[in-house]
Amino acid sequence: MASLTLKGIGKRFGKTAALSGVDLQVEDGKFCVLLGPSGCGKSTLLNVIAGLVPQDKGTVELDGHSVDRLAPRDRDVAMVFQSYALYPHMTVAKNLGFGLRMRGVPKATIRKKVLDTATLLGIDDLLNRKPRELSGGQRQRVAMGRALVRKPKLFLLDEPLSNLDARLRANVRLELKQLHSQLKTTIVYVTHDQVEAMTLGEKVVVMRDGAVRQTGRPETIYSFPADTFVATFIGSPEMNLYRGMILRNGERPVFQGREFHMDMGNLRLNLVGRGVDLGFRPEDVRIVEAGAGTLPVKVEMISDVGSEKFIHTQIGQEHLTLRAPKDASFRPDEIINLTIDLTRLHIFQKGVRVD
Amino acid sequence: MTREALERSIIRLIRIAGILFFAVIVAFPFYWMIVSSLRPLEEILMNPANLGLDFRKIDLSAYYDVLFDHGFIRYILNSLYVSIITVALSLTLATVGGYAVTRLRFRGQSFMSYSILIIYMFPAIVLVIPLYVIFSHMGFRDSINVLILVYLAQTLPVALYMLRSYFKTLPLEMENAGLIDGCSRFGVIWRIIIPLSAPALASVALYTFMIAWNEFLFAFMFLDTPDKFTLSRGVVQLAGSVHLSKQLVMAASVLVTLPILLLFLFFERYLVRGMTSGAMKG
Amino acid sequence: MSVNSKHHRESRLAFWMLAPTFAVVLAFVIVPVIWNLWISLKPVSLADLRGDALFQFNLSFENFQKVFSDPDFDTVLLTTLVYTIGGSLLSIFLGLMAALLVHAEFRGRALLRGLFIAPYIAPVVAVTFTWSFILDPQLGVFNQFAVDHGLLTQPIPFLSQRWLDLDIMGVGLRIPMALFSVILFEGWRYFPFAFLFILARLQAIPDEFYHAASVDGATPFQRFFHITLPQLVTVLSTLFLFRFIWTFNKFDDVFLLTRGQAGTKVLPLDVYDYAFGEFNIGASSATAMVLFGVLALFIFIYFRWGMRIDD
Repeated sequence: MASLTLKGIGKRFGKTAALSGVDLQVEDGKFCVLLGPSGCGKSTLLNVIAGLVPQDKGTVELDGHSVDRLAPRDRDVAMVFQSYALYPHMTVAKNLGFGLRMRGVPKATIRKKVLDTATLLGIDDLLNRKPRELSGGQRQRVAMGRALVRKPKLFLLDEPLSNLDARLRANVRLELKQLHSQLKTTIVYVTHDQVEAMTLGEKVVVMRDGAVRQTGRPETIYSFPADTFVATFIGSPEMNLYRGMILRNGERPVFQGREFHMDMGNLRLNLVGRGVDLGFRPEDVRIVEAGAGTLPVKVEMISDVGSEKFIHTQIGQEHLTLRAPKDASFRPDEIINLTIDLTRLHIFQKGVRVD
Repeated sequence: MTREALERSIIRLIRIAGILFFAVIVAFPFYWMIVSSLRPLEEILMNPANLGLDFRKIDLSAYYDVLFDHGFIRYILNSLYVSIITVALSLTLATVGGYAVTRLRFRGQSFMSYSILIIYMFPAIVLVIPLYVIFSHMGFRDSINVLILVYLAQTLPVALYMLRSYFKTLPLEMENAGLIDGCSRFGVIWRIIIPLSAPALASVALYTFMIAWNEFLFAFMFLDTPDKFTLSRGVVQLAGSVHLSKQLVMAASVLVTLPILLLFLFFERYLVRGMTSGAMKG
Repeated sequence: MSVNSKHHRESRLAFWMLAPTFAVVLAFVIVPVIWNLWISLKPVSLADLRGDALFQFNLSFENFQKVFSDPDFDTVLLTTLVYTIGGSLLSIFLGLMAALLVHAEFRGRALLRGLFIAPYIAPVVAVTFTWSFILDPQLGVFNQFAVDHGLLTQPIPFLSQRWLDLDIMGVGLRIPMALFSVILFEGWRYFPFAFLFILARLQAIPDEFYHAASVDGATPFQRFFHITLPQLVTVLSTLFLFRFIWTFNKFDDVFLLTRGQAGTKVLPLDVYDYAFGEFNIGASSATAMVLFGVLALFIFIYFRWGMRIDD
């Protein structure tokens, strides 16, 4: 186990910058998730850490020592690939033991370690099969096992669950979390799935266009997104976000959007006269009787996800989504009145959070 | 009868006739080669138009003569030596080179691909005279090992091209897994690429073997000493010396044809794949 | 810094991995072509090969003059073109027919496919000797069988007679017999090459095309002309280019069948005849340079208008 430090990693592919100035610190034993849309550079970053892709700038440190000069095999990292990359010409046992064999571990030790790992993952009855004889879930386990068996300093997982069906994915996610708390290994996990990131990560790194946009605990990232990208990327349905200006109404600040205005309560910040983006999450909106300061909206569409309902509404030209309990019943075109939890407002100036 | 049905029955007739036609023109020469090699000269002279083979009169003496009196045992060994060494060298160098072209980044990569194709189209007749002159001048033209190098130059670019196409289809993640598991570049080639490429390697091996085994022009021009003759060269020599004994020439032809046809029969699908992946020349 | 050296390492590794291939190709393809240009511009006879005359700086266009002013040059060039175009077209036509026959599913199809490739796999010496034997006017089974069964009035020396006069319903026809036979052989031996490529292409045409055409009312022949053939145009033209290049430079087949006798002398045989018939290596090289020029022209055409190579 080890801590990982990235300092100013930069990488270009031809004219496009895949990574620019990435700094990251992953403490020993932490489960760190790199999250971002496809093409944001998260997989490239993982390959840089593994030593598969040489970076143009910056250093990768394991336990405070630079590993830039080391080949992948000398970095003592293990990796689980999106396609699993199991060797099709080897049995499960051979696949699991390959990394140990390459390092000259005695045969008896290999056999024992392979068996231990296979038992841990519940695949000990599959050891003599070839990868093509395994189901998707079993392959995924073998891929995990191949990484686990070596007990490396660092685990790198590249979208390891994306080829599983939804139900299996939820199970394996849970197991992965248990496995981590049991083994206390340092993990860097790449995904584009925010649910995966939020449930697995102790530390979530949101990336976009080759740069880190925010690093923090999942609840921090959810509750205090650092910019409008993170704000809208995390959370489903998306955060409601409106462009507007803060005006003064007597002593109180008021948000004036294109379609509505809203009392901002005791906003301490002196933003009066500034253009801002105002955001609030669907769950921070309540349906109330019409009254002073309530926001009338027109119901547009209702999506029922079973446990609750998402109400998509319209204010003039703009849209607003809110969560409602599963027994709420509205009809399209109905007018309803809303209040917004003023303590949960997110305010961004030039895209960046201001608190 | 509708037009559809009419055309269908016409097509069925054409198909049967066509298949018969092709089967006969393709198979007959091989059949005749074998039959004539088993039939003594007198019988050919007496009744050249006899299409059948009388099993009671099968005469294997021609094979004995060719093998022991005309040195064909030696030629077979020479041909095997030339072909096997060419295959081994070609496979090794093409695997290593094909990997470099596929996976490593370096300048001039696309230039490489073009040159490979140009050399693929290069005919032997353009090269034979200058090579003849060089090796005559240096005094080692009459050598089996020089012949191997010439064959290598003929097959290597194509072999490399074929393997490159195949390597491109292998998932990069598999190699990365190997690198992380502790292989060097050559370890990745040896333990991952080669086992995964067995079908492509078989195609390349067959292709190379066929070129080396069948080659005539260079063997004919370069080799002077009968001890060094390959089979093709030996057959031509024999045909020139025993002009009338068709039985001997046909027996020799069978000896040079049989191994390659058998090999091809067993590994047909690899060879077909090799050819259609743009690799055959002739 | 340290990181950039990794790029260098990769380049260097690639260089060493390609070096043997590169060296072999350089020594046995590139250098010979340049060397050939050199000797084609010098008076070199077969006897000069051992001495230093090879390296003397006495260049002239004499060899080329000799080659081009040879009274037979035009005939040889014409023969070469007839042989090349005839052989290429015939092999592609036969290949197309064979592919269409084998395309549909039926019992024994795999066996037939294997059989059809045999002419191409077999060593050239074996098949040329066998065909010479079959077509032999005295001992050959073809002539004897045909004469015995009244199909021919007298044997035809297929490979050794320059002209054959035919009288078809009162119309006299003069065909270059030996050249014609050699072209037939070319078609026989190389149709498998076209066959394989055309078959692969045929099998890549989606069934939906045929189903759609059937629904639209196209009959089998119409389907062939309106769907199959247009889909094959690319592969057919590429095949023609390749076969043209290789047939134009083909030595073995004609040499082994006729030695260039009876009006079958093609340019590649001139290369051999100059060198070992007239002991004139210079003229031989010059002829090879002419072949190389034609080849270069066709390679240029291929890359300019042909298929893109990077798959």
